Amino acid sequence: MVNDTGQLYTIEGIAAALIMLFSAYLVLSATSVYTPGDTHISDMQLEQLGTDALRMMNTPINSSSAKSPLQEIVETNNATYFNETFLNYVNNKTELKTDNLHYSAVVTYRNITNGNTTWNYPLSSNRNLTGGEHPVRVTEWVLANIQAGSNVKQNRAILVEVLLWRD
Amino acid sequence: MTDNAGTLSIDFLAGFTIFLIAFIYVATLIPGLFIGLQSRTIDYDAVAYRTGVILVEDPGMPYNPSWENLDDYHKGEVLRFGLAVSKDTPNILSSQKVDRFFCTTWTYPDDYRSRVIFGNYPYMFNISFQPAGSNLTRSIGDDPPDEYGYIRRVVKIKGISNASIDDSTIQTYKFNSSDNVTTDVFSIHLNFTNLLEDEPNPAYQINPYNDQIMVNVSGMNAKVIPIPPITAPLPTNLTAIQICRSKPISTNLHPPVVCFANFTSPIVDNNQVDLPYPIENNLSLIIPPGFITTDLADANTQLYFNLTFDHYNAGILSEEKGYLNSTGSGPFEYNYDPKNITLPKLQDGVLEVSVW
Repeated sequence: MVNDTGQLYTIEGIAAALIMLFSAYLVLSATSVYTPGDTHISDMQLEQLGTDALRMMNTPINSSSAKSPLQEIVETNNATYFNETFLNYVNNKTELKTDNLHYSAVVTYRNITNGNTTWNYPLSSNRNLTGGEHPVRVTEWVLANIQAGSNVKQNRAILVEVLLWRD
Repeated sequence: MTDNAGTLSIDFLAGFTIFLIAFIYVATLIPGLFIGLQSRTIDYDAVAYRTGVILVEDPGMPYNPSWENLDDYHKGEVLRFGLAVSKDTPNILSSQKVDRFFCTTWTYPDDYRSRVIFGNYPYMFNISFQPAGSNLTRSIGDDPPDEYGYIRRVVKIKGISNASIDDSTIQTYKFNSSDNVTTDVFSIHLNFTNLLEDEPNPAYQINPYNDQIMVNVSGMNAKVIPIPPITAPLPTNLTAIQICRSKPISTNLHPPVVCFANFTSPIVDNNQVDLPYPIENNLSLIIPPGFITTDLADANTQLYFNLTFDHYNAGILSEEKGYLNSTGSGPFEYNYDPKNITLPKLQDGVLEVSVW
């Protein structure tokens, strides 16, 4: 004998499945998602910190100091001095516990004797970029007396570019 | 017998399921509509950022005379806090402004909220500053909770200039009397034209209006003692500090110096004292920031602080020879010569703002 009892069970099953699927969707969508807006905030904080650090490194400590620390670093290519000074600036907090930021710095200049092309060389870094990080880019123009591709030292506008990221 | 009672149940079940699905779907969509508005952390971060910018990149309001020079009776006139030396020197903070900002005359949170946090929402906050190499953190506000907005700014704080006049300086510039006199006068000269124009960058400028002027004299008796017969120097009082000025105008390039006021309660040896004040071998005189106003001296003024010393023997005004005196040599120049002055120096620091 054929009756419709089986059909009833099928529809109940489909309805229950749908409810379970949407319950799962509800649970999954309720988990916290790091929105693009939130990422922008932490990027902004890092950018501000890095920009401040480079700006302060490019400020002489008094009027009788002819050069800023960043000028000296670029002119002497002193990676150790840059590493120590930059990390001090970006990691120091008002509490005892310091921050733990990583960076990679590059110096870029225009080579006027070689086809007026843009050249760069690594200045310093405390960790290599592997591609999985989410770094921000901060820059500072420095007036430095260096050869930068020419035969004589002269005042040149040099771009110090730093990629800065947090673990 | 077959009836249709079960069919009704299936319709109800199907309809209720569809309703439930639609309800859940709409309910999950609604928060997404407000995702850009509902995040309190984002709002707190924005307020913290704004507060950091105001503190670090703005000199505050009023600017001239600067807000940090207003005393407690006039603190209601302060419209906006700002710690920068000037609007042209972001991240360079004034030590006087930092001192005034963290002083106890302001009430947390009301005085700060209306002058640096702004907005209608009653934000709570913590603002902390620490100079580099120091464990001393200056802070206002409570400890932040777990969730809060935050910004950290790297800054430099402008130090104060000071003149150190020791016995070798006194002898080099002949800052001592060659005659027996009962009263010695030592003059300190502030050339406003040179102070304000020779160093145009406010970060390094000695600004007599807003910066503290400090003169430390040591070895004042050095020239007195070796003069035979070797005797102890007479007791000496700082009896007056006259404020004098000359102001060049086109018809008179060398106008006379006119003394027009007395510095009656100066800061000597780090205390505000009344004159006469007994002087030993050393003297530290501070002209506090805000003491010199544009009414006292404009940008072309030559300002002199004439220190008068009287010598006493058994309470009677007596003659002394070789004491600190600039009458014959000309005044001590408070300028940018590193031989005379320790110039303002920038010191690293970090400022943090937390808002919740």
